[in-house]
Amino acid sequence: MRSLAGGGAPALLWRTVLVAALVCGIGLLPWLSRTDPALTVLRARSADRDPDPETLRAIRDDLGLHDGPLALLGRWLGGLLHGDAGTSWVSGSQVLPGVVQALGASLLLMAGALAVAAGTAAAVCARTLRLGARGRLGARRPGGTATAVLAALPEFLVAAVLASVIGVQLGWLPALGWYGPQWMVLPSLALGLPAGAVLGRMLDDLLPGAFGEPWAMAAAARGVPSRSVARQAVRRCVPGLLPNLALFVVGLTGGSVTVEQIFDIPGLGRLTLQAALAQDLPVLQTGTLALVLLAATAGLLSRLAARLLIGPALRDGALQSLHRPRPPAPRTLPLLYGGLLAAVIGFGLPRDPLALDTLARLHAPSSAHPFGTDALGRDVLARISHGALTTLGTALAVSAAALVAGLLLGLLPRVSGPLVDTLSAVPPVLAGLLVTGAMGSGPWTPAFAVAVVAWCPLAAHTSSLLRQERATTHLTATRALGAGRWYLLRHELLPAVAPPVARHALLRLPGIALSLAALGFLGLGAQPPSPDWGLLLAENQPYAERAPWAVLFPAAVLALLGALAVTAAGGVRLPRRRTRPVGPAAPPADRVVPAPRRQPDHPDALLTPVPASQTEER
Amino acid sequence: MVFIYTMRTPRRLIAGLFVLPLLSGCFASSGDDASASSGSGDGARLRVALPFAPTENYSPYGQDAMLLSRLGVIEGLTKLDANGTAVPALAESWSSEHGGRSWLFTLRDARFQNGEAVTARAVAAALTAAGKADPAPSALAGVKLTAAAEDDQRVRVSTAEADPVLPLRLSNPSLAVFAPKAYDTKGTVNVEGTATGPFALTRIDGDTAATLDRFDDYWGGRAQASGVTARFVSDGTARANALRTGDVDIAESLPVAQVASLDKDDVHEVDTARNTSLYLNTKSGAFTDAGLRAAAREAIDPSVIAKGAYEGYAVPAEGLFGPALTWAAGKRVEPTGRARATGPDGERITLATYSDRPELPETAQVLQQQLRKAGFEVKLEVRTYARLEGDLLGGKFDAAVFSRNMMLDTGDPVTVLASDYTCDGSNNLSFLCDRKVDRLVAAAQAESDTAERQDAAMKAEAAVLGTDSVIPLVHLKLVAGIATSVRGALPDPYERTLIGTGTRR
Repeated sequence: MRSLAGGGAPALLWRTVLVAALVCGIGLLPWLSRTDPALTVLRARSADRDPDPETLRAIRDDLGLHDGPLALLGRWLGGLLHGDAGTSWVSGSQVLPGVVQALGASLLLMAGALAVAAGTAAAVCARTLRLGARGRLGARRPGGTATAVLAALPEFLVAAVLASVIGVQLGWLPALGWYGPQWMVLPSLALGLPAGAVLGRMLDDLLPGAFGEPWAMAAAARGVPSRSVARQAVRRCVPGLLPNLALFVVGLTGGSVTVEQIFDIPGLGRLTLQAALAQDLPVLQTGTLALVLLAATAGLLSRLAARLLIGPALRDGALQSLHRPRPPAPRTLPLLYGGLLAAVIGFGLPRDPLALDTLARLHAPSSAHPFGTDALGRDVLARISHGALTTLGTALAVSAAALVAGLLLGLLPRVSGPLVDTLSAVPPVLAGLLVTGAMGSGPWTPAFAVAVVAWCPLAAHTSSLLRQERATTHLTATRALGAGRWYLLRHELLPAVAPPVARHALLRLPGIALSLAALGFLGLGAQPPSPDWGLLLAENQPYAERAPWAVLFPAAVLALLGALAVTAAGGVRLPRRRTRPVGPAAPPADRVVPAPRRQPDHPDALLTPVPASQTEER
Repeated sequence: MVFIYTMRTPRRLIAGLFVLPLLSGCFASSGDDASASSGSGDGARLRVALPFAPTENYSPYGQDAMLLSRLGVIEGLTKLDANGTAVPALAESWSSEHGGRSWLFTLRDARFQNGEAVTARAVAAALTAAGKADPAPSALAGVKLTAAAEDDQRVRVSTAEADPVLPLRLSNPSLAVFAPKAYDTKGTVNVEGTATGPFALTRIDGDTAATLDRFDDYWGGRAQASGVTARFVSDGTARANALRTGDVDIAESLPVAQVASLDKDDVHEVDTARNTSLYLNTKSGAFTDAGLRAAAREAIDPSVIAKGAYEGYAVPAEGLFGPALTWAAGKRVEPTGRARATGPDGERITLATYSDRPELPETAQVLQQQLRKAGFEVKLEVRTYARLEGDLLGGKFDAAVFSRNMMLDTGDPVTVLASDYTCDGSNNLSFLCDRKVDRLVAAAQAESDTAERQDAAMKAEAAVLGTDSVIPLVHLKLVAGIATSVRGALPDPYERTLIGTGTRR
């Protein structure tokens, strides 16, 4: 049970401390950021009302702001013990019923999105499963472009396209409201497709390793149907994804603000966003607490599920390492994508990204403006090209920092597990506000605010892979040969865990570029008229239907970046050094999949428990 | 077909997740089903999408009053006509006494939606309750009001100081009248079925929807629509989509960017008293120099903004009071005493605006280009209004693009001048403190005759413009999407009416 609770009493204490710190941080938010709650509450109540001193005084008296943050927090916590979460500062109504209702809508939306995500992930992995179950993985040319493109698509763009094409123009499904099952389809698709692409890609990354394990070969030799083999392979790999699935559950419940807005869904994302902007602390605290509870529950369930699926093997240290039989072959595809990206940027650089011409608004692509113009008549190509450097620079820096932090903290699951659970429950806007409150507003604040949350999925991924890796037989063998902990970490664990986590980090790169821009409306980060990519997408979103090119081209470039990142993860091969593909020419016994092997550049052959397969030597 | 099996494990999980929330409770209620059968069958229900959800549980003392007024639920003693003068509503007639310190209102024969008669005593109690509200309704800012029943039909409303615009004030929806049983001891008002308008609020679905039924005994005659279903949709694109799919009959306040996607016949525009202006910080920074303010004014071409950022749904500004205020056209006074423009020489300025109104960031970018051409170095700061206002009022920016309803609270042009441009003004974004302006505004406040008050307001306006502390950019139009089947909708320049007795489909 200790491992389920994440380490017993100390972990529980740590978890409590984190939640308490979060709730206190929210309670102190207005005082940290020096933003008068009376003013923000007044603005939430009425957009046009003058902020005269008498009105502000009345609001302060009404809310009891004079008592200071600690007394307010104490009162709220005291009420919470009796099941009373207080009254909203803006509307004066009870907080709990509203939060419960919004949570219900959000959970339902999340469930729909997960169903779509599962379908998407299945489609992504279908080919690997079909080939793997028949032992023909060698023939598999690495794909991944389509998945990476799908994973890089911003949710709001998918949502806007679905709403206007399927909802309005074709009229097949309702595009507005939240009144019954048929209203769930479009928003679930918008949220589920990108999420499913990420999950599917991660699963696809692990499956070849599972098919390379001895049991798969034995099953194949015994004539077990390929379906059963595929099923067992999924079962073997899913535990590594479960923590990330739990993070998606929480993220989709609390963080799908734009989709909720486009489809007008009364969910928790919008509720907490409005509460954060209005500094409606009782609502914000209750909403966040609900998300934290959800995150803890999801984390617990994912650990339970992992135990159900591979528990005995974990306990007995009877797992195989989930390495690919051989590292993905370097290929030319990234060169193509990189060249395309460089060409777009190169062609745009001589153009002026800031020159307004209101007479040339929303012009379709033409020879004068190859990518068309935006709502102020600016050249979209020029803006994409000039925005590339800042967008990519910051996003790469944040991704790298998140990768390092994720790997390091993922090595310490006792510390990072509860931290991940708590942080993943913090809506992105709230994270931005808390970071600004704590460290002030500077040029690096938005990057920091995104990085603070971005390492979570990577750490969760790291520790789940690590748990399995620790339970592998070759590690037992290495230990038996006298390897110390440090040696194990450096030569066995990290080399095994780092590559999939790094590929995961690359997959999330476009998402990070978007979340950086999403903080712009708090006054953080890129401001108009800067051509930052996230900003480009956001400012052209209202024109998506009239001038699709103004959003599709930036989205396409972002997707190209995603595809580049994912395909380049396997290394790049120059086209002229072409060799014949390995798979088709494999030896007659091609049903025998090579056994899992260590890194090719392994320094110490003595400690390598699995011999290099003969296929590799060819 | 192999991958069917891959779904087995997630499928169990997902099935579990589906059962977890009780399905039906997790959907919003559309409000449609509730009272489809009520009413006598004639007159279809109207379906309306509104931009602002109720923020204070339909309390009449805040912004929700405007919402209730637009839906035809509540009304006060007076209302505003198209020219901005007070005309009879619940009161049939009125006259001032004691040099404007009190006013005597004669009520018409009307009933509350719960069947009770509208008596002088009920009206006096309602106005007294509004006067006691804390914070006070914005229409009563700075006014101490007492109301007493003179007899069954007449109410005397007195103020501590003479108030020449009291009938205008009473047209504000937050001074609407409700039946005695609407008021509880804690000072909250329950507006369900207790108001006097042609439609009664019968069901509230949180902040997503509201259901209204026709009130058959309305003094102005029975409404033609049997009821109204209002949905609150904050996203402008979503409102436009709702109209295009036929989910709603009226979509209010559409963003300019969405208008082009609608059928031309569905687009209705009306001039409003709302301006977008550039406020220059006269207290600190570059624009303390009147010469630079003049340079900024000369650099700006409002017609580019009207055409570019607003796509023609705005007209270039002629002053602070636009074409919606018909009286202003013949009374304009040329600003005098303007400073001579000096060269900006690369002066650095920060221009702030907010993203809540989607056209404002675009306006700011056009301004940035125009000012840059004139020699300013312009940095933009665009945030959501809640995150901007504190810094804006703290004077952290050199200039701000701001959209302002000039007639909001009282329908009196002087109120906005006093709050925006005098030394003590509570919304003085230019931090203007000019003796001449203060004097002229005070003089306008003292005028009791409507026409003379308007004349005085125009003089004060000219003085404000003479300081170049504000550069009016455009007068906005309100764009409503109204399906062609709908007749008799009442979009209005003061943003106070939308649905009336004659609205039907």
